[in-house]
Amino acid sequence: MLGWEFPPFFAGGAGIVCYELTKEMVKIDDVDLTYVMPFGPDEVANQHLRILIANKFRGKKINFKKVPSLLGAYMTEESYKENRQRLIDSGKLTMADDNTLNLYGINLIEEVYNFAGRVSTIVDDEEFDVVHAHDWTTFPAAIQASEQMKKPLIVHMHITGFDKSGGNGVDPHIYAIEKEGMEKADKIIAISEKVKRGLVKNYGINPSKIEIVYHAKVDVGPDTNFDFPKFKSKNKVVLYAGRMTMQKGPEYFIDVAKKVVNFYKNVIFIMIGSGDQMNQMIRKTAEMGLQDKFLFHGFYSRDDANKFFSMADVFVMPSVSEPFGLVPFEAISKNTPSIISKQSGVSEILNNVFKVDFWDIDKMANQIVSLLKYNELHNTMKKEGLDELNKLTWDEPARRCVDIYKELTRKR
Amino acid sequence: MVSMCFYFQVHQPYRIRKYSIFDIGKKKDYFEDRSETELDNEWIINKIKKKCYLPTNAILLELLNKHPEFKITFSFSGVFLEQLEEFAPEVLESFQELVATGRVEILSETYYHSLSFLFDKDEFREQVRLHGKLVKQLFGVEPTVFRNTELIYNNELANEAEAMGYKGIIAEGADHLLGWRSPNFLYRPVGAKKIKTLLKNYKLSDDVAFRFSNRGWKEWPLDSKKYVQWINSINGNGEVVNLFMDYETFGEHQWKDSGIFEFLRYMPGEFLKHPDNDFKTPSEVIDSYEVCGEYDACEFVSWTDLERDLSAWMGNELQDAATKRVYVLGKKVKLTGSGLLVHQWRKLLTSNHFYYMGTKHFGNGNLNPYESPYEAFIAYMNVLQDLEMEVSDILKERGFLVNGEIVNNKINL
Repeated sequence: MLGWEFPPFFAGGAGIVCYELTKEMVKIDDVDLTYVMPFGPDEVANQHLRILIANKFRGKKINFKKVPSLLGAYMTEESYKENRQRLIDSGKLTMADDNTLNLYGINLIEEVYNFAGRVSTIVDDEEFDVVHAHDWTTFPAAIQASEQMKKPLIVHMHITGFDKSGGNGVDPHIYAIEKEGMEKADKIIAISEKVKRGLVKNYGINPSKIEIVYHAKVDVGPDTNFDFPKFKSKNKVVLYAGRMTMQKGPEYFIDVAKKVVNFYKNVIFIMIGSGDQMNQMIRKTAEMGLQDKFLFHGFYSRDDANKFFSMADVFVMPSVSEPFGLVPFEAISKNTPSIISKQSGVSEILNNVFKVDFWDIDKMANQIVSLLKYNELHNTMKKEGLDELNKLTWDEPARRCVDIYKELTRKR
Repeated sequence: MVSMCFYFQVHQPYRIRKYSIFDIGKKKDYFEDRSETELDNEWIINKIKKKCYLPTNAILLELLNKHPEFKITFSFSGVFLEQLEEFAPEVLESFQELVATGRVEILSETYYHSLSFLFDKDEFREQVRLHGKLVKQLFGVEPTVFRNTELIYNNELANEAEAMGYKGIIAEGADHLLGWRSPNFLYRPVGAKKIKTLLKNYKLSDDVAFRFSNRGWKEWPLDSKKYVQWINSINGNGEVVNLFMDYETFGEHQWKDSGIFEFLRYMPGEFLKHPDNDFKTPSEVIDSYEVCGEYDACEFVSWTDLERDLSAWMGNELQDAATKRVYVLGKKVKLTGSGLLVHQWRKLLTSNHFYYMGTKHFGNGNLNPYESPYEAFIAYMNVLQDLEMEVSDILKERGFLVNGEIVNNKINL
């Protein structure tokens, strides 16, 4: 299996998914997994003690082959450069690291192909039956491995270039790599019907080649005991959690807040997460006269997230486009009813949430106020939501992946 | 001798539109969705009119003309008849034409298809009275057999129906109450002296209502010959087969291309081929047969879900909050003396509203015109709040209400 991230390293949504998925897959008989990932600076990897989890896997069935890289699925060339600079500035990336990195170059596309070159040398010594690759950054490497060793290729689509740009065009290099990967693949796994539709529409992929495997619930760790801030005693809390970028629709959260405060006085809106639109959003709340109603937190850790989710009365995910969207799982598992946009993949599988078009501010306001106002509604969604979430376990998606492996190896 | 007793429930609620917080205090159009989707009452009546009411009525009229022995029974909710008057008078006329043959019986029920027996007995009796009045006015007949909303039934209800003068009452033939006994006889409710209970044969009823077009069912396809054979086999160990179902079974739940209309068209003729067989209405069944034992329903039974209990309408927090709040409002609404407000309030008592708030089967394809039970709850509670505000304003103006309490004792409630 080829992936670009694995907790705790660059642990975005896809990294968590790879972790949860592989954890269940190795429990299935006859499955022997090797996870190959590009490797970031040592300091970043080592500062998280959760690397123990990786060690545990190494001791079992998953072996890590680390290839240095700064790649992340959400990155464009520009953000890659920024990220690299940030690491250097913060002292997390030393000159020594930089030297190793020089082997791979600063250009993102170049790194993708360097990764492919590295993988090409690794696979000669490896025995495997299928190649399973997560998102475009690993596709050249996966195609290389598949063709070199004449093994079937599965590409797993978590997100595409189109989703990342919020519909505003797509990087032609990335598009070409994605398309080639999918065309050469024997099977494509899409994480939602929404992603599948995009693959058919934007990449001309034959729908019969695509299987949908939904994610399951993520482990967010135990509840943290902490004292709620003072404002919580008199106010209810509505939460936004995610990067502050167009794709996530933060501006709609502020628009809806403006409506809600006219109908429900004692409420505070909290936005956690950072991103290119953060300052713009802070300005927007001030312009709308909502500065007393809003709190911003910026970048948040796992522990922070758990605190905010526990404190919140309603979680809102107004994403303009969300291939899946794991965050509602985190909110629901901390007993917070969720309102999620219909433009998210996760809305295809959750029932006990409110679903709304991201632009439908009136409907969203109605749902928020109702959840704040009617305790019975809040309680029922909380309870039913948790019951539903607890049934979404990873053994099902893991089994689906293994079934695809079996089908492809039988064919050969 | 086997008598076939065919009875159809015909009901459509006044569905509440997606009434939002922004509408409270501003809009009164609670039931006037105009979206041409599953919440638009006029659109629904017209859709079902074409698919079910008109074609099925035509077949029944044809059968009544062809077979002098053929008889059927309807239970119309008042809110259904009201919607026909408003949206589809030609359907009402075709039902009137059927009743005019003299071989179509009409059952008594609550006007608003409500759960009022569970929450407010006075209101229950009033709704039954209003229903009787409407039936008399539209069809010129007086029902003598009672059927409660969704066949919700217990011993107390049966005794109440007896006290109200009914000679019969209809209930689900629930396995857990019948035990080894057959639903194909009449029973006496525990505690009652005269009234007789007719029990739905749920197996034979559901073969038509639920399984008819199910290709996975081992008896598919079901034709009238096979079905009549099953009924004939009862001869000797039963007197009456009570086939009770939603009228929308024909053409709406079971689609035209499933052959359901052909089944309805030929089954009665097939059944009458056997000289021992006949058709009877519930009141004729009661006049013809004696009870064979007691039917003891301490707990409520209904005809809904495998559980055959009340859990489709009650028991989750949403449903309980909504029912409690709406029934509490009753006193105040009646105190306003406004017939319009009382009527609006009563439309909110229709059981469907609480069914839509059910979480029991949510996600498993249960029928809900709202996106979720939660959306149903929001619309309902917002409407209720609007109505409460209007009622309070009127009562305050008249000095009947101070600090939310009713103060004028001269008004006899």
